[in-house]
Amino acid sequence: MKPGNLGLIDLTVLIPAELFCEMRRWELCNHPSSFRRGVFYIFNSLYSYVFTLYYEGGNNVLLYAVKRGFLMIVTLWIIVTVTFVTMHLIPGDPFASDAKMLPEEVVKNMRAEYNLDQPITVQYLLYLKGLLQFDLGPSIQSKTRDVNTLIAEGFPASAVLGLQSFIVALAGGITLGIVAALYHNRTLDFLSMFAAIIGISVPSFILAPLLIKYLAVKWELFPVAAWESWEHSILPTLALAIGPLAIIARFVRASMLEVWQQEYISTAQAKGLGTFSIVVRHGMRNAILPVLTFIGPLFANLMTGTFVVEKIFAIPGLGKYFVESIFNRDYPVILGTTVFYSFVLIFTLYMIDLLYRVIDPRIRLTSGGK
Amino acid sequence: MKKGLLAFAALLALAVPALSACGSDKPAASSDQQTGTAVKQVMTANLRGEPYTLDPAFASDTTSYWVIDHLYEGLYRYSQNGDISEGAAEKVEVSPDGKTYTFTLRPEMKWSNGDPLTAHDYEYSWKRVLNPQTAAYEPSALYYIQGAEAYNTGKGSVEDVQIKAKDDRTLIVGLKDPITYFPKIMMSRAYLPVNKKVVDADKNWAAEAKGIVTNGPYTVESWDHNSQLTIAKSQSYWEKEEVTMDTVHFKMVNEATTYYQMFKTGALDLIDSLPIDVIEQEKEKEEYKSFPDYSIYTYTFNVEEKPFTNAKIRQAFSYAIDRDILTNNVTKGGQLPAYGYTPFGVKTPSGKDFREEVAPYYQFDPNKAKQLLAEGLKEEGWTELPPITLKYSTAENHKKIAEALQEMFKQNLGVQVKLENQEWKTYIDTFKQKNFQIARMGWGGDYLDPLAMLELYTGKSSRNFTNWANPKFDELIEKAKVEQNEEAHMKLLHDAETILMQDMPVIPVYFNNENYLNSKKIDGIRFSVTGTPDLRWAKRVAE
Repeated sequence: MKPGNLGLIDLTVLIPAELFCEMRRWELCNHPSSFRRGVFYIFNSLYSYVFTLYYEGGNNVLLYAVKRGFLMIVTLWIIVTVTFVTMHLIPGDPFASDAKMLPEEVVKNMRAEYNLDQPITVQYLLYLKGLLQFDLGPSIQSKTRDVNTLIAEGFPASAVLGLQSFIVALAGGITLGIVAALYHNRTLDFLSMFAAIIGISVPSFILAPLLIKYLAVKWELFPVAAWESWEHSILPTLALAIGPLAIIARFVRASMLEVWQQEYISTAQAKGLGTFSIVVRHGMRNAILPVLTFIGPLFANLMTGTFVVEKIFAIPGLGKYFVESIFNRDYPVILGTTVFYSFVLIFTLYMIDLLYRVIDPRIRLTSGGK
Repeated sequence: MKKGLLAFAALLALAVPALSACGSDKPAASSDQQTGTAVKQVMTANLRGEPYTLDPAFASDTTSYWVIDHLYEGLYRYSQNGDISEGAAEKVEVSPDGKTYTFTLRPEMKWSNGDPLTAHDYEYSWKRVLNPQTAAYEPSALYYIQGAEAYNTGKGSVEDVQIKAKDDRTLIVGLKDPITYFPKIMMSRAYLPVNKKVVDADKNWAAEAKGIVTNGPYTVESWDHNSQLTIAKSQSYWEKEEVTMDTVHFKMVNEATTYYQMFKTGALDLIDSLPIDVIEQEKEKEEYKSFPDYSIYTYTFNVEEKPFTNAKIRQAFSYAIDRDILTNNVTKGGQLPAYGYTPFGVKTPSGKDFREEVAPYYQFDPNKAKQLLAEGLKEEGWTELPPITLKYSTAENHKKIAEALQEMFKQNLGVQVKLENQEWKTYIDTFKQKNFQIARMGWGGDYLDPLAMLELYTGKSSRNFTNWANPKFDELIEKAKVEQNEEAHMKLLHDAETILMQDMPVIPVYFNNENYLNSKKIDGIRFSVTGTPDLRWAKRVAE
């Protein structure tokens, strides 16, 4: 396959699709029908493109990294440009917060302070210039703190919470999926898949208040909300993890069932290996591959904060900026959060590529590895 | 598989700095209670979000106001009974013509960093707000001062602004007009002082706890952005003996259900803006407090858009609204039906509330509504109304109200109106361009006087988006502004309001209110119509 413009186009389709997921409409994003299939199609094209790049460089990892790095920058640039343009197309003004009319002179000064008095092309170039120096600009709404600071302050909380829920979702999902597959069509299978269906169907904004109502208020096991100690993070972690956990469980079950039919599994069984080591050493390796395509964006989503869960549990994370910045027309924050999220997402996809290579022996073999 | 693990570890490494950064999270500050006989004077209140700034010149939202009101003190302040009294000023002298205010500051006052607090600080702070380069939020609150507006709008120089510190303790202020309600206006946050040395040294001085220097009852002890802000009694405040609450933790919980549950579990002592669905069950409890707010919810007409060019037709729409049903069954938050434009809350020399001095300007009356509509149509020579679109900003509560009004207009007036909503920032644009027939809007008084509500509708007001202007109304407002006799001042405003309600360029719908849950363990919080809950006299009576 020749690397044409296909991969690039896919990426630009992928990012808005993922940004849509950013709205946390899990129920939509993970609807088993068309939307997910569309995302998978894009993923597949992306991977074939990336692998083509890789094969072209043979085993030259450096060349691969450089090409991939270039691709990342181009993608980010496209995202910044598209966001910049669409953002300025929305009507409304960052300084019009209520029906008060500020004196013209004051508004002029405010606009000048944020370069909004410049022609749009100059604003765009100024932004790119700042971006090259890793300066995401000031926040119009916050007045005293810039976007870099907002992200530096919000990211730790979001990341800790995201990582915790990622680990819970992954570990829980894989375990549940394997159990369901091993006990195919028996009670345990039905039970786990019933739980998974519930996990998929109940959105986090329903789950979170339920967790608070029972686990915090009624049984007083955990604090209601706030971000203070480890106990405070348990409920939000659960609220975030259960949806993706259920999805991962269904993925793993499906692919594990398929893998379990393979001849090499029968061989391993014939050799008298225990179920546990067959699952871990032979089954998992293949069964985990479809999950990888899912956990890349999941990881990026969870790490950069979620609007609903962070709001409900009063977590000082990044999630709210994704949404509030648009309501406030806080241009630098809209751009800054988009750039940051895109960077995390693209970087994660890059890591997933590497992981793919490590986990799938077939890829290693054909690429002339060991 | 080993390699697989390694790669996974690399993936995790991405998050490690984040993990360690959060490891230093402080434990809940309230957990270090010591055993003792006296009850520790600490309370936890819910601030619904991060204050955007703690620099009074830029504050524009109630979240910031609530904290700022505890940090800085103006020349006047609210006293425990809710009256405006001398704050940083010890003595105020008004010249016989009512135009010159001479403030004498209390002796030996200090900023929280030990700097002396002088009249020069006030001069500096007010001029800073007026400096167009500062781009402060509400310089217009200072326009009553001679030369202020010209300087702020780039038409005059700072030398001509009549704010002069004669010496360290004397501040002389020259007003444009002799206004008796100047102390009320001075309650605006634009009049609060900032420390020149601190501001000059760092433009972002108010961004973090350690940079903030205050002159009021409290200082900022810590500020965990988006999470918690703690203020502690200032040791340099001149009246610190009167301040009973030592420490206030403000938590930033935005979700109504969450902070309600936190109040229920005792994690919060004071919350405001209760979730609508719990008001019914909390209403009868001792913890529940409801206070009117000096603000109004309105539907505004564009009087140059047909059919609202006709006053009788505008009146008809107002008569068709059953405000009692609306507040009892739709908004349900304890709002008061508005039968006039000025909200409750202003005491007049007669001892009554300004609102209660006059009878309701109208009531719910479908027959009268239909009759007025018919008369209006006849006056204009129309046989039927042109299509009407009612606009509102996108939000669940506004939608409910708009739909209720739509139904009322249909039932009581036989008029079918179309609804249209726009997201807030777009809506504000539409509204300011007067691109509507009838549109939702709200208004809060900048200070506690009917003038603050009514002045909006003068012909030259930059906030009047109705296209309505009435020279008689303008004349009454101009007279009321400079009237030295309080009683006559109120009388003129009643007359002005009467004209406004007859011409009806705006439909008053209801007066806003604020609901609180106040823990039984905390006494002495002062709630007020304009201000934020004042916590300095609060007292914890039980652990």
